[in-house]
Amino acid sequence: MIRAARPAVYGAAAALALTLTACTSSESQDPVVVGLITKQEENPYWVTMREVAQDTADDEGVELLTATGTSDVDVDSQVTALEEMVADGADGVLIAPTDSTALLPAIQSAQEAGVLVIAVDTPVDPEDAVDAFFATDNLVAGELVGRYAAAKAAELGLEPRVAVLDLAPGIASGELRREGFFAGFGLEQDDPRLVGALDTQGDREEGQAAMEQLLAQDPGVNVVYAVNEPAAFGALDALEAADIDLADVVVVTVDGGCEAIKDGVRPGSIDATSQQYPENMAREGVRAIADAVREGEQPSGFLDTGVQLITGAPAPDVDSRGVAYGVRNCWG
Amino acid sequence: MATTGSTVPTERGAPRPPLVSRELRVPFILLILCFAAWGAAANLTDILVGVFRSIFDMSNFQSSLVQFAYYGAYFALAIPAGFITNRFGYKAGVLTGLGLAAVGGVLFLPASQLLVYEYFLLALFVLAAGLSILETSANPFVIAMGDEGSATQRLNLAQAFNPVGANIGVLMGAVLILPRLTSEAEKTILGPNELVASQEADLGLVLTPYLGIAAVLLLIWLLIAFRKMPLPPVSAALEAVPSGNTAGRLWKNRHYRYGVVAQFFNVAAQTCVWTFTILYAQDVVGVSAEGSGWFLQASLILFLVSRFVMTWLLGIFRPTLLLLVMALFGVACCAVAVVSMNMLGLIAVVAISASLSLMFPTIYGVALQGLGDDAKFGAAGLVMAILGGALLPMVHAAVMDTAGAAAGYAVPGICLALVAGYAVFDLRTRRDPAEVAS
Repeated sequence: MIRAARPAVYGAAAALALTLTACTSSESQDPVVVGLITKQEENPYWVTMREVAQDTADDEGVELLTATGTSDVDVDSQVTALEEMVADGADGVLIAPTDSTALLPAIQSAQEAGVLVIAVDTPVDPEDAVDAFFATDNLVAGELVGRYAAAKAAELGLEPRVAVLDLAPGIASGELRREGFFAGFGLEQDDPRLVGALDTQGDREEGQAAMEQLLAQDPGVNVVYAVNEPAAFGALDALEAADIDLADVVVVTVDGGCEAIKDGVRPGSIDATSQQYPENMAREGVRAIADAVREGEQPSGFLDTGVQLITGAPAPDVDSRGVAYGVRNCWG
Repeated sequence: MATTGSTVPTERGAPRPPLVSRELRVPFILLILCFAAWGAAANLTDILVGVFRSIFDMSNFQSSLVQFAYYGAYFALAIPAGFITNRFGYKAGVLTGLGLAAVGGVLFLPASQLLVYEYFLLALFVLAAGLSILETSANPFVIAMGDEGSATQRLNLAQAFNPVGANIGVLMGAVLILPRLTSEAEKTILGPNELVASQEADLGLVLTPYLGIAAVLLLIWLLIAFRKMPLPPVSAALEAVPSGNTAGRLWKNRHYRYGVVAQFFNVAAQTCVWTFTILYAQDVVGVSAEGSGWFLQASLILFLVSRFVMTWLLGIFRPTLLLLVMALFGVACCAVAVVSMNMLGLIAVVAISASLSLMFPTIYGVALQGLGDDAKFGAAGLVMAILGGALLPMVHAAVMDTAGAAAGYAVPGICLALVAGYAVFDLRTRRDPAEVAS
């Protein structure tokens, strides 16, 4: 989400408001310390999550500790950050695990020290190794774009030839999205309408290479499912390189980042995307830990943090939101 | 030069009369507060369009009814307001306007309890109706509060507080409402009861500044109602009744007739631009709710600063030439806003306010030029062109709903092109001697 430059007067007003909030909070509520460990610094998805966590912490009168890894697979930094937050007296920690199993010993140690641990965005294995899991329901996200793609293809009078651009084997979010897409579209694994499915690692260049390979198999591909938006842009690169008219191809994906909404969905090259909300993970996570400490309401289980289908060209009988909604609520 | 007391010696040695009669200074200050109050209310309304859209999850067209209610009330009450002041005097007019506007502000209270959009529209209509009466009474009241020779200066001083109030209105919205609204993303995970609770909380945010405005208006009402003041007689301008031929003469006068049309589209453009600045920032560029209010604030400040610059330039260039240049600049800005759907487009939206800054007084002056006594009646027609502010925002919103948020700015672009057309007409047409009153 783009943040506008704010005049000094706003800063002063905000400072005053924060001071007043802090005064009232410190007088009436127990001090609470919440930790947030994200995967990396640069990705706007994590930046949004950290900003919203800080805003919520300010509103709730909570002290927020933050730490981040150096990449999506940096386990060591997350283990160190978790240990340091426990030592610093955190009451609870929100963690987006870079590995579903390698972090389990550190998480268990934190819990034994009385620290509440909530996984955000990405699950651990087993899921009940943390106190709660706040994330997008990836099955629903995939199902939404699957239903849309089927309805849109029918509206355009297409005989579907479906290309699937997956994430990578064994990654739960990718597998759930794919499963949801198949269910929403009404597609079986051995369906003759399925041209093929290839892994992309969620990367634009690998997405382009995979799409080129699938087009070589069947130049008549007219429905493309991409597991995330970089892979979708890679698919568009391949389709344009093959001189295929994008008006005759239905491209759907998942994420809802600002780049994809503005440069993909708004001009119509991406037909629809399932938008997820990292801000909900951060806000609800901070609130849950604050409520647990102050009111004894222990969070547990899975919290669906919401998903909306965003498109500039609605399909019959499929609920969706417009591009303006997508721009207002995109991240990055 | 040394001065004594409140009078300043003139070149001829005679004492210059004070700007405001000594016994009317406190009422004058109270009226200045009125000017600020209606500026605040009007521009707080600009913020409400987006706020109601978010709270009630409605289309842009539905939310634009806020401006229809507000400016529609101004239009509908323009003639009754003049009648009240003419029949019962300035004080009665001001008190009626203040009282009705305060009632409108208080009506936000039941509306926020009932969670019904239409009740808010009713509250806004009542508020604006009161402000219309207040404005109609306060302007000539200020003129009559001192020496006739300093009337324009006195009115300018009082009206200078209108944009101050306008900025306060936007500031209230930007600080008290926008940053604290429940985000749309958060609403995706709320249950039905939680959604209702969030609506109540958000409407409570809307309620606060309007109750504040109502309280200020009520306070001014009390201070004026219970203060004895030597009231000046109702001015001849208000008493003037058009002769049978006035309307006909005005209709035949193309500079006046087209001037009313130009003013209609100028007010329409201004209302569209300011109403949808926040929505453009959010829907097209992706600026956060709390950040978007500052772009409207920047527009108003630019408008204010440009007014002074334009006043200086009007002393150098022919008014309609400057009007033409600035209208075309506004058209260009609208085109950029439609095409460039990024921060450049948003800067263009803000820049439109520079072009708007000279339009109302310039069109007003050009249209009434040479009308003689007919100008008193003709001025009413120009003021009633405010109807453009009630109607065109709905068109702008409908275009947004059907063709995209940025495309809506084609509407003020067309409005400003028509204003440019009026400027060209004036520049290329000699005034018919019959159009100039003897």
